[in-house]
Amino acid sequence: MKWKLAVCVALAVVLQSTLAALWRPLVYADLPLIVVVYFALRRDAVLAVFVGTVAGLGTDLLSSGLLGANGFSLTLTAYLLAALVTRVMIDNPLLRIPVMAGAAAFDTVVYFLLHQLLGQPPGTPLGGTIAETFAYRIIWTTVAGTVIAFGLDTLFNETSRLRRRHFAFRRRIARRGLTRRKY
Amino acid sequence: MARSTQKEIRQRAPLWLLVLLALNFGLMSWHARDASGQPVVKGWAQSAISPFGRATTGVGGAGMGFFRTFAEMRGAQAENQILRQRLADAENQLREGRQALDENERLKRLLDFDKDISYRPVPARVIARDPSVWFNSLVINRGTTSGVDLDMPVVTPEGIVGRIVGVGPVSAQVMLLTDERSAAGAVVGQLGQSNAIGSVRGYGKNGLLEMRYVSGMETVNTGDYVVTTGQDRIYPPGLSVGTVVEIQQGSATTPHTIRVKPGARLDSLQEVAVLTYRPPQRTAPEKTLPNVDKGKTK
Repeated sequence: MKWKLAVCVALAVVLQSTLAALWRPLVYADLPLIVVVYFALRRDAVLAVFVGTVAGLGTDLLSSGLLGANGFSLTLTAYLLAALVTRVMIDNPLLRIPVMAGAAAFDTVVYFLLHQLLGQPPGTPLGGTIAETFAYRIIWTTVAGTVIAFGLDTLFNETSRLRRRHFAFRRRIARRGLTRRKY
Repeated sequence: MARSTQKEIRQRAPLWLLVLLALNFGLMSWHARDASGQPVVKGWAQSAISPFGRATTGVGGAGMGFFRTFAEMRGAQAENQILRQRLADAENQLREGRQALDENERLKRLLDFDKDISYRPVPARVIARDPSVWFNSLVINRGTTSGVDLDMPVVTPEGIVGRIVGVGPVSAQVMLLTDERSAAGAVVGQLGQSNAIGSVRGYGKNGLLEMRYVSGMETVNTGDYVVTTGQDRIYPPGLSVGTVVEIQQGSATTPHTIRVKPGARLDSLQEVAVLTYRPPQRTAPEKTLPNVDKGKTK
C-alpha cells in the first residue's frame, strides 16, 4: 500500500506541472492537495502530515514560489483534517465535497499569507483579481477532487479490495465450471 | 509489526506536525533571504521530472494539435489572403532592412567599433509550467549540458519571454517577463532614435507589462512598439518586447504610466530559444574619466 501511496503523490506533483503546460487553466485544480485530503480522511494523522510535507515540497521544487510554502500549508491542512475526521464523520463520499472545498480555501489562504509575510507577494498571472483566483481554485479543486477521490477509492479502499477479490474468485469458479464445494 | 492505535497516533501526530512545520518554515526563510541564486536541489528536481514532462507534453500536445487543426480550418482561407499580403510587405521591409544593415556595418567599420555581441540561439521545448496559480514560470528541456546558464535571455520570434533563473544538467527554469519580480530595460520606438527609455516589469495581472520611468515630456501613443535597450545586461538590445496598449499621460514632473502587451504569446508557449548572450565588458570608470589626477597642482 505504501508504494501505491508514493506513486500517487509523485504522479500528482508531476501531472500538476506538466498538464499546466498543455492548458494553463488546469493549474487551478490542485492535484497534490486532492491526494493529501484523501489520505488525511483515513484517520492516520502521522501519515497525513508526512504526505502533506512530501507533496508540498515536491510542488515547491517545481514552482518559482518559496521553497517550503506548499509544504507548510499542505502539512497544516492535512493535520487539521486528520484531527477533525476522528471527531466528526466527514469521510463519506457526499461530505467529501464540502471538505475538499474547505481544504482548498484554507490551503490557498495559508499559502498566500506566507508569501505576503516573507515579502514575496504572489500575482495573478492567469488574469483576474485575487478573489477570482481564490474562487476558481476552490471550484476546480472541489470538482476534480470529487472525481479523483472515487478513483482513489478503487485503489485504496479496503471494502473495494475485498469485493474485487471475492468477485475474482467467483469468476474463476464460473470459468472452470467447478461445482460449489459442499462442507 | 503491530499497527499503531489511534491513541498512539494522536499522541505522536502533534510532535511530527511541529517538526515538519518548523522544517518547512526554515526552508521558506532561507529561500526568501538567499539572493545568491537558485537552490541547487530545485535544479535536480526539475531535471528528474524532465523525462515525464517531455512525454506528457509530447503526447498531449499532439492530441491538442489534432483537434486544433480542425477548429482552425474554417478561417484558413481568409487568413491565407491576409498572410500573403503581409508576406509581400515583409519582403519589402526585409530588402530595406538589409540595406540598413549593410550601411550599419560600413559605419561601424568607419568608427572602428569593437566586435559587438555575438550569441547563438539554443532551441528548447517547454516541458512543464509552474504548478502554482500565483506564479508564472516555465521548465524547458535544455540545461548546462546544452550551454544554458543562469540569467540567459529566453526569446521567441515574436519577442522576449524571460530569463533563466534556475538550471540543472538537462533542464532549466525560466521566469517570465510578466512575473512581478521580472524586469528589462526598454525603449518605446526605435533604439537610438527615441528618448522614451524606461524599464518594463511584470504587472502581475492580465498578462501585461508595466513600463516605468518614461519621461512625461516624451510622446508615447497606443500601438507603439517597445524594444530592449540592452542596458539591463541581460537582454541584447533591439529585441521586441511588445506594444503599448494603455497610457496614463505624465507631465513635465511625472513620468508616463504605460501598459505593454508582450509580443510573445506567453500563455501558449511550446518552443522557445535561449540566447547564449554575454553582455560586453564594461570599461572600469576610473580609466574613462577625464582629468583623473585632480590632486596635481597647476
